[in-house]
Amino acid sequence: MQHLAQTTSEKELTSSSPAPMPGTMSSARAPPGHFTVLYFASASSYVKKTSETFEAPLPAAKLFDVLEKKYPGMKEKVLSSCALTVNLDYIDLEEDSGEGQLVLQPGDEVGVIPPVSSG
Amino acid sequence: MSPTEDVDAYVLRLRRQVRAAEVQLRDLRRQLVQAEKQADEARNLNKNHDRGLPFAQQSKRLAVLRNIGQEQGYEGHTNGTEDRSQYARSKRRWPLRKEEYKRYGRQLIMPEIALEGQLRLRSCSVLVVGVGGLGCPAALYLAGAGVSTVGLVDGDTVEESNLHRQILHSTEKIGMSKVDSAAEQLRSLNPLVNYVSHREHLTPQIALQMFDRYDLVLDCTDHPTSRYLISDTCVLLQKPLVSASALRTEGQLMVLNNPPRAAGDVTGGPCYRCVFPRPPPAESVTSCGEGGILGPVVGVMGVLQALEAIKIIVAGIPKPFDADRNIDISTVGREEASDASAPTQDPPSLLLFSAYTSPPFRSVRLRSRRKDCMACSASATITRASLTSGSLDYAQFCGVVNPVSVLEKDSRISANDYDAQQSMLEWFRQTRGSEVYGAMTDTIVDVREKVQFDLCHFDRAINVPWSEILADDEPLKRALEDLSARRQITVVCRLGNDSQLAVRKIRELRRRGGAIGSVETDDSLVMDIEGGLRAWTRDVDPEFPEY
Repeated sequence: MQHLAQTTSEKELTSSSPAPMPGTMSSARAPPGHFTVLYFASASSYVKKTSETFEAPLPAAKLFDVLEKKYPGMKEKVLSSCALTVNLDYIDLEEDSGEGQLVLQPGDEVGVIPPVSSG
Repeated sequence: MSPTEDVDAYVLRLRRQVRAAEVQLRDLRRQLVQAEKQADEARNLNKNHDRGLPFAQQSKRLAVLRNIGQEQGYEGHTNGTEDRSQYARSKRRWPLRKEEYKRYGRQLIMPEIALEGQLRLRSCSVLVVGVGGLGCPAALYLAGAGVSTVGLVDGDTVEESNLHRQILHSTEKIGMSKVDSAAEQLRSLNPLVNYVSHREHLTPQIALQMFDRYDLVLDCTDHPTSRYLISDTCVLLQKPLVSASALRTEGQLMVLNNPPRAAGDVTGGPCYRCVFPRPPPAESVTSCGEGGILGPVVGVMGVLQALEAIKIIVAGIPKPFDADRNIDISTVGREEASDASAPTQDPPSLLLFSAYTSPPFRSVRLRSRRKDCMACSASATITRASLTSGSLDYAQFCGVVNPVSVLEKDSRISANDYDAQQSMLEWFRQTRGSEVYGAMTDTIVDVREKVQFDLCHFDRAINVPWSEILADDEPLKRALEDLSARRQITVVCRLGNDSQLAVRKIRELRRRGGAIGSVETDDSLVMDIEGGLRAWTRDVDPEFPEY
């Protein structure tokens, strides 16, 4: 993947930053062989946490199924309208699910970003 | 008359006087806004005239001047000519007015802004849609920076619960139109800016006409329907859009449709639909009133919106190009921005702010326009006609359930009736023994979030938050399975929306064979309090806190 080089440098930055306060979202490195999922806004309310790790590698197209299995109803109620990012790049599961589909690698950081509309 | 009655009467009289004075004050304030607006219009036309700008507006200006009967003799008389030549001379010499150099000095001396940037700001009209938690700080900084015009759109009035974050409004403005309240405050901050009031909610029918006269739009609204509508309108009119939102401790910020190119032009920036093609399910949409919002969180987002707006304006907004008429419709008197040679744009991004995470800011790189976008792709289906005719139904697109009305009238109990029912049961229990009537005690299920439940609740109520019910059947089942002796289940929430959905859910669980309620509990004994706790405070117990 093209963005891997960038990812490494970002992670180095992250791991050298001071440890987050207890109870705050941690962007610390995932255990070996895992990728991190960050939940924002209503996604984080739904799963009642701000991040967790899953086993890698996983085709990105399978991520929603994995989440749905762990959090029944999440696909319809949250994920259907979410933007998805991998290592801070917006990805489109439908567009990217063709040839050479995106596979989530160990150390990747996935963002699940529902639209927030209030203000 | 006893002494207490005397005092009571005095209190009453004072209350009445206070109310009358408040009404009068509000009225005066409205008149002041009107008068200031008139004065402003006159000043503004004057200002344009000073710079040798629209002469076409002379007659209008004259009319305004005559109207308020001041500065007569300035126009069309001997000394008027002198004045003009003097101004013409000063214009050639110094592009800004003396007070502008002073007022904007601290940003003028920055190379990022400089004289050219200030001139661009001074000729740029910005529309702020929504004068709430985002719109207030955004409008403040834009007015402070000295844009030409700030348009304000909002149909709401100021409420007490707005004040912790909507920093243009103040306690004495409760009940006043938000737009008027904001304009008054902004005018006292910077009288050199022109303020335009749109005291109405944005609708598809009026959006095109309203946006047309502005160069840049800020989406400071609070609902998916307006987010899509504003984005679509900006694409159709080729205006850049700065969109922000905030809820609880999080915020999002995007610069959209920048550069603002026609639909189908792949070099244009993505629109809201490119990023979020599918709206969130209507029942998951949470407002600040329901979900809560921390003042500085929404404030940060509004301030960032103003910052992005200033960056876009100073960089130069490309002139919109009217595809329908195939002519340039850039407005007269506008500082020309370079078009093809426009400064390099920041690539589109989505900034996420999350106050309680580390790091609090994350910037996501967005893609360019979506190939199949309904609004900005070559295959766009959204047109000016579909907007103005109202054929595009944003409420339907977003599946708005507003207000929730899923229960029949006889499945609901009013606050007054519930009070009467409970008082009667209590009386029976006391007079005829609790064995029989004790069993008739109902189960009160309060479906508000726990933190709200902790603020205030009925003594016997149990708390099963709607969000938990939405995610999983178990909490509700668990809460209701041991209540076999009790017949009636009364569901309550803050406003009487979630409670209806919860009643529906309980009935559904019962149909699926869940052990809920007693054998005698049938659907008609599962009910909700109409209007929720708000109605309870209003109709039964005024001391019950409203928040």
